[in-house]
Amino acid sequence: MGLVKGTVSFVLFFVEGRLPDNPLEFIVDRVKSFSFRDIDDTYDEYSPGWVSVHNMFDSGFTYASCVVGDYITLTLRVDERKVAPAILKKFVQKEEERVRIEKELPKLGRAIKVQIKERVRSELIRKALPVPSTYDLCWNLSASTVLFFSTNQKAQAVLEDYFKESFGLLLRQQIPFTTAERLIGDEQLAILDSLSPELFV
Amino acid sequence: MDLVDLIVEKRFLGQEFLTWLWWKSEERGGSIALPGEGDIIVVFAKHMLLESGEGDSAEKLICTGLQAELREARTGLQMGKKLEQARIVINHNSYEYGFTLAAALMEFRNVRLPKTAESEDDGKSSGNEALEGMLLERIYLFEQLVKLVHTLFSLFLSVRLGSTWPVELMKIRTWVAQADHAGSSGQ
Repeated sequence: MGLVKGTVSFVLFFVEGRLPDNPLEFIVDRVKSFSFRDIDDTYDEYSPGWVSVHNMFDSGFTYASCVVGDYITLTLRVDERKVAPAILKKFVQKEEERVRIEKELPKLGRAIKVQIKERVRSELIRKALPVPSTYDLCWNLSASTVLFFSTNQKAQAVLEDYFKESFGLLLRQQIPFTTAERLIGDEQLAILDSLSPELFV
Repeated sequence: MDLVDLIVEKRFLGQEFLTWLWWKSEERGGSIALPGEGDIIVVFAKHMLLESGEGDSAEKLICTGLQAELREARTGLQMGKKLEQARIVINHNSYEYGFTLAAALMEFRNVRLPKTAESEDDGKSSGNEALEGMLLERIYLFEQLVKLVHTLFSLFLSVRLGSTWPVELMKIRTWVAQADHAGSSGQ
């Protein structure tokens, strides 16, 4: 459920920075360069990228363009290999015990424990299947706004970083105070700035 | 001030807006006059979350129920809490939007768009043009909802930052003080 269909949640961002003179050409080109790369057949741990809002397997936008009227519609797909903490703990303890017996030591030192943990983690990550997450967005080019269809703060942080990396533009989340700054006149900015909470009782 | 500090320090602004909107929606039986738009219907229903204090001392109160039964939420206001989340239904130009507004960050949650001829079609039309038309309609409706909420927020700001705020505040305080009575009559 997202931009295309169903009940959704979203937040508003303002886009800061300037696009080149040929914005659509630039954006389409950047979307292509930063489109999603599959990691199913690699050992990569993390892969963010753009795909079509209609189909998360369409990273070439062959089914439908990302340009819809004066809007850019995209899905940010993030595939990530994860290992549950309980599984990591179990296999680290198992390996520590194996090494301790093999080396005939009463107790393992801190340095070797760190080494074991890192090695076991790498092995487990390589075995884990990438878990996909998708988040839709709609970029209004004339208003320089982005509707992002997730209220997950981690997803919002990934979006801000990847949007900057892809297009060289900053996203500023619109909370009530920053929204107010855009809605009121200059003469009221100082009043807004000095506003303190009011008691309603 | 960076965004994280603004979120913490100015958290009250969105909560005051939502609390004010609840009062405003009840002032004329759900009808609010929007400059340039005419009257719209704003109804608070089903779900509310009230908050007071910050950090470790923060207290939250969740209330669910039908409109007339939000007595506990009203009592929460009397205890100095402010509205942090509320399920709102807005009627505008025969379109009905349902959404939960989370005040501190101005998040639009569980947004239910109005039913239109296109949405009733439910994807039966195929082809790129039909898809694009459906998408553009949904985008238009999302943006209309944001515009309506921003217009309501502007209305609040014009009063909150203006000279008439003390008068408006007295009306809100009177409404909050009458909450017990109103809640009892709703049972």
